[in-house]
Amino acid sequence: MPMDFSYKETWLHKINPSLKLLIMILLFIHLLMIHNTNILINYMIGMIVLYLFFTGHPWKRLLVISIPFLLIFLTSSTSMIFFGKGEITWAKWGLVHITEESFFRGLHLGFRGISFAVLGIVFALTTRPVYLFYSLMQQFKMKPKYAYSFMAAIRLIPLMIEEMQTLHYALQVRGVQGERGVKGFYKKIKSYSIPLLSQSIRRAYRIAVAMEAKRFSNRGNRTYFYQLGFSKFDVIFLCYLLVIIPLSYVTATHFPYFSITDVRYGS
Amino acid sequence: MTTIASMTNMRLKFPGVDSLLFEDFSLSIDRGEKVLILGPSGSGKSTLLQVLTGLIPHAVEVPMKADALTIPESWGFLFQDPDAQFCMPYVDEEIAFVLENLQIPREIMDHYIDHYLQQVGLKFDDTHTKIQTLSGGMKQRLAIASVLALEPEVLCLDEPTAMLDPEGTRLVWDTIKNVGEDKTVVIVEHKIEQVVDFIDRVILLDENGAIIADGPKQQVFDQHKHVLIEQGIWYPGVWEDYMQDKSRHIPPSVNTEDAKLAVHLSDFSAFRGKVKALQVKEARAYPGEWITILGENGAGKSTLLLAMMNLLKTTGTYKVLEQDYKRIKHLAEYVSFVFQNPEFQFVTNSVYEEIAFSLHLAKWEQDKITRRVNQMLKMHHLEEHQHTHPYQLSMGQKRRLSVAASIVKEQPIILLDEPTFGQDAKNTFAILEQLEQLRAQGTTIIMVTHDINIVKNFATKVWRVEYGELVKEFPAPIFVETFQPAVIS
Repeated sequence: MPMDFSYKETWLHKINPSLKLLIMILLFIHLLMIHNTNILINYMIGMIVLYLFFTGHPWKRLLVISIPFLLIFLTSSTSMIFFGKGEITWAKWGLVHITEESFFRGLHLGFRGISFAVLGIVFALTTRPVYLFYSLMQQFKMKPKYAYSFMAAIRLIPLMIEEMQTLHYALQVRGVQGERGVKGFYKKIKSYSIPLLSQSIRRAYRIAVAMEAKRFSNRGNRTYFYQLGFSKFDVIFLCYLLVIIPLSYVTATHFPYFSITDVRYGS
Repeated sequence: MTTIASMTNMRLKFPGVDSLLFEDFSLSIDRGEKVLILGPSGSGKSTLLQVLTGLIPHAVEVPMKADALTIPESWGFLFQDPDAQFCMPYVDEEIAFVLENLQIPREIMDHYIDHYLQQVGLKFDDTHTKIQTLSGGMKQRLAIASVLALEPEVLCLDEPTAMLDPEGTRLVWDTIKNVGEDKTVVIVEHKIEQVVDFIDRVILLDENGAIIADGPKQQVFDQHKHVLIEQGIWYPGVWEDYMQDKSRHIPPSVNTEDAKLAVHLSDFSAFRGKVKALQVKEARAYPGEWITILGENGAGKSTLLLAMMNLLKTTGTYKVLEQDYKRIKHLAEYVSFVFQNPEFQFVTNSVYEEIAFSLHLAKWEQDKITRRVNQMLKMHHLEEHQHTHPYQLSMGQKRRLSVAASIVKEQPIILLDEPTFGQDAKNTFAILEQLEQLRAQGTTIIMVTHDINIVKNFATKVWRVEYGELVKEFPAPIFVETFQPAVIS
């Protein structure tokens, strides 16, 4: 079952992967510290622009991937909207209690969820694991032992998908009919996971031996097929963030969407 | 001649096993020799190769001791599983991995990559090609290329073609003969037809890992033929000897005049996703027929079997015992399927349960199940292992179990996807004889194979599949006369 996952390479792909990872982590932390929904909305738009226009993936795929985003938004916001604390009551049905405060806090949480997801997916869509690990070895001095183990493991994933298809056929052939309910689910998990895992463990072991047979060792010196350094694309990326983030603060102050500037309860 | 690898009084024991695998084992290999190591499965052939190269005990931790051990300065190792020897996703990256290990400067890597790919006869428009998209034979040749990147004096080959089709096998051996000309080559293999003219020395092991014979190939083959037969080794001429023994060379003819049709396909197409992967204008199979499906790799042979098992989307007429397949609620009641990889068929935790599985599903009575399962266990020589987990069986036992578990309900039609693939001669003949028995009782056997000998000696009919189409039905003897041996292997 060959899967087509081709894409156009854009400037986001050419950013140094370690730098990209580091910046993403910093952005995640920064996101947690924004409590003004107005800023967050602008911020989110800035990230969505990256996602929609610069990942180089086809529209259809991007749209499919964004379906779970909506789910994240709905689940994280509604639970806060319906059950969060607040003073100014808008509506009340039994346990459900919607207040102005909880409504905005819910929205805020939803937007934050989306921002997290968009940042994560932008990173995943524009970073080849192989480059990431080469870069980690070169820029962060990661031990080759770990880097190559990860790369070998990633190679096993498509093989496992193929095996799952075969296994699915095999179970059907044996006349296994899917049972419903928790027990059926448990049985299904068991009948798939054990053969898949046993096959993977055996493969992993063989790959490890094959790697040693190719003189892979933990000695420090090795040359690199991919030399990853820094380029103008790193500067572009930094500039983009340095424009978007202050801009979202400025516009939030001068052209706010809502009058609330801090969604935390009690502030 | 200079010795390039040797060991004196080597002892080795796997943890958890009571007896030593090797006891006071001595061996010496000279520079430039082409050595073939033969022996039954479990005799430690692969282990021996790993000791010779120092993989044991450096990479694989197994307790091992030797009075003296000479490991070649540079060696390369080719393994049998094409999917389990690469750690990178792309062709160029994989060879580069070896070059990196050897600390070759980046500037000359591209040159080396092209050089080694050329040596094994692989051509790509762009070397940045996904390994996943290559055929098994190409993968093995790529593995040879990355082994060559080590510039080894000694090549160790551990059944490198066990998982390949005949065409891939031929190309891989051609490549090995080509690049191994001036090297020392040590081969472990049980299908020796392809290598026999390349090697000059044969070492024959018994099941306890002791040397039975060691010498020039002709001498060993002549003096120890009975051992080869006993161990199920595919020596040249094994089929002729087997058929002589059986004195049953006549492929059976089937009276199809007034017989009921077992399978009838007409204007039948199968789809993989939205793509039409196979079409059949007209094909028939009768009870008591043994049909072999032949064709190139990727022509659609397996697709045909999957479609007949109703695992793919299909259109057109497909009748099983003169009933439309759509009307049949449980197709598995009529048709059984044996997969190429037996492991993917196992759904329970013991050999006994595995055979009983479909009977439980069909709600047989308990004592009837016990009787039937015991009968199957006996027939397939699995009684001793009835409480073993299926994964712990040997290759041959797994295969026998998968066949036993599939046919336990005595379905009138059996579909098999290369059931003899990777099996030694002994197991192959055992499986074929068993199928022949079923056929004689009126079962229809439909089997994908690459082995012309099976067509010649067992089949009654051939379905030839080309480019996603079943192009013609032949009676087996006519097919053998017309096409043999050019088309298939």
